[in-house]
Amino acid sequence: MSIEFDQGKAYTVDRGAPKARNGQGMLAGMGVVFKHFRDAMTKKLDNPSEISGVFTVQYPEERYKLPEAARNFPILLYEDASGQELCTSCFQCERICPPQVIHITQAKDPVSGKAVPAIAEFLIEYDACMSCGLCAEVCPFDAIKMDHEYELSTDVHGGLTIDRAGLMRPISYYEQLAPSFWAEVKDGALKKLQGAIKRRSGLVGIAPQMVEVLKKREPSIQESGVGSQNTAIQNPEPRTEPIELRTQNPEPPSPPTPLPVGEERRSRGEGIAATTEAATPVPTAPASSITDTTAPATAPAIPAPSGDARAEKAAKLVAIRAANAKKNETPEGTP
Amino acid sequence: MPTSQELQINIGPQHPSTHGVFRMTVTVDGETVVRLDPVFGYLHRNHEQLAEVSTYIQSMPYTDRLDYFNSMASNYGLALAVEKLAEIEVPQRANYIRALMNELTRILNHATAIGFLLNDMGAWQTALAFSMREREKILDLFEMASGARMMCNYFRFGGIWRDLPPEFVPQLKQLMVGLPSFFDEFDKLLRENEILRARSINIGILPKELAAAYSVTGPVLRASGIAYDIRKAEPYGIYGELDFDVPIGSVGDVYDRYLVRIEEMRQSYRMIQQIIERLPDTIGGHINPKMADIGKQKTLRPPVGDVYARIESPKGELGFYLVSDGSERPYRYKVRAPSFLNLTPLGDMCRGHRIADVVVILGSIDIVMGEVDR
Repeated sequence: MSIEFDQGKAYTVDRGAPKARNGQGMLAGMGVVFKHFRDAMTKKLDNPSEISGVFTVQYPEERYKLPEAARNFPILLYEDASGQELCTSCFQCERICPPQVIHITQAKDPVSGKAVPAIAEFLIEYDACMSCGLCAEVCPFDAIKMDHEYELSTDVHGGLTIDRAGLMRPISYYEQLAPSFWAEVKDGALKKLQGAIKRRSGLVGIAPQMVEVLKKREPSIQESGVGSQNTAIQNPEPRTEPIELRTQNPEPPSPPTPLPVGEERRSRGEGIAATTEAATPVPTAPASSITDTTAPATAPAIPAPSGDARAEKAAKLVAIRAANAKKNETPEGTP
Repeated sequence: MPTSQELQINIGPQHPSTHGVFRMTVTVDGETVVRLDPVFGYLHRNHEQLAEVSTYIQSMPYTDRLDYFNSMASNYGLALAVEKLAEIEVPQRANYIRALMNELTRILNHATAIGFLLNDMGAWQTALAFSMREREKILDLFEMASGARMMCNYFRFGGIWRDLPPEFVPQLKQLMVGLPSFFDEFDKLLRENEILRARSINIGILPKELAAAYSVTGPVLRASGIAYDIRKAEPYGIYGELDFDVPIGSVGDVYDRYLVRIEEMRQSYRMIQQIIERLPDTIGGHINPKMADIGKQKTLRPPVGDVYARIESPKGELGFYLVSDGSERPYRYKVRAPSFLNLTPLGDMCRGHRIADVVVILGSIDIVMGEVDR
């Protein structure tokens, strides 16, 4: 058979013939296996051009260095020194997330009650996250990035709903994971952060793990606020109270379920970076209530299937097809 | 003379040889298969309906989960359909990288398919270990480029997520040094093996006419002797510029399917060589500048119309049928999954063979249940 294409041709594969003596073909195969067996005793496969040798990675002891692009689960970033979070709660990631596992609550100014570009709570259900990386891609403030951490197994299922404190990592942590990726966006991200800081006051927008550090460093923080341009606020009381509430409850109006922030967390000895698992389960019910109250209606409404709807849909389909057939004369999809 | 009694047995859904949660209701007369009915749907995940309530870009990561061995190919299918619908141009460089990823995927898929086929024949894990080794090397490349080993989510409408990192091409070239000896060795290991020949020659014959009637595609169709390859029949991307041949079989049995896959890996190797040569001279970025902003991808509203776009995925013709009503979400989203349609003639292929051959024939079709059930 000879079929010629513009480039290349079709050819019939050679089915071969059995070897003259039974068992010869098998012995040839065994030779290959033996060669690999011998190599497995002596050498390790170092680069992709070799095809024999030990290629197993003895996992807990030795690990591959992950490439910069590697993505596992999302994390949030804060500036190392000031503790200011890059996230401004713009809800972009919450909207694009395909399995809808991101739940954001926007922070409010403790005095005026107006929304400020910071988060009060940020929940990601790691157990349903599919690590697609769209949230990191869409984030205009480069606040959400994909972590390289993959050892997240836990015996507490609820512990895989990670809250704000569990998600926060210093910028230096991400910079060490993906130096060139961060270098690309660094200037823009920090500039945007400065813009956001101007509109924050007090401890709003400070990473939870940095709150105590900052209080120690600057005892006047409750008076003046860190990085705050807003000096009009004099009374410290209204400022600290909502923050206390925030660490205890996701949001004052929601059911009073305690969120264990910064408590009972295992430290991995990675400096300031907190581990990603929450030690105790975080109830998901308040999470959904948070998003229901604050987030705009982004969840796509699934139309209830009914006879009318189906007929309507079918009619619409016919109309679209007819319109399309008129538009382009050549039918699509046929060779 | 009394006839032996027919017996109906279930193979699967939880069975190591069914390549996932797949059930076959087999009626046997002694050891001989009289009738076989494939039963599927155990891994149904509502992919099409989910896509209809998601924006176009939100469906992209879900296509990874269709055929989880070839997420790059599934990505390509959706990207191609949406680009056709919204009339988005793809830069040359992006097209080259797309084809490169697809051909790497094909090598990966065929290597593991053969490995699993031999697993089914009883060559327990030996051949599979060799193919998994090559697969891991390719997955390392995927991880470097896309960030994930299996669920790549690499394609965007109008291009790809990021350009290749600088260390990608050197590592790919190293991989290419080893690949021909891998193909030869794989061939030597198996082609002349008497047991393999006995288990595969004249087993599960799918005649040309039947294959066409069942609209089987991919290596299974080509093994039956029909030189039909979408890359030739309806070239997409840069496949019109690449020089490659289409291997076809003569009998259409399990052995032919195995040989066609080996040959296809060699052809993919040829294509990757050509792509590596031309990649430095390609023009255009990794993505169409109009679509480079993810916000554009997110709010993409293709004009009203419907479109069918198809690619030659390693398993066959992967088609996406999309209907747009001008909104952000597809009005109808349909996947023509090659695994699913290649599976339908299983009953005809198995009839008259021994029950031990059923798993071999199933293995030779090369299915992924994620794609069959969607």
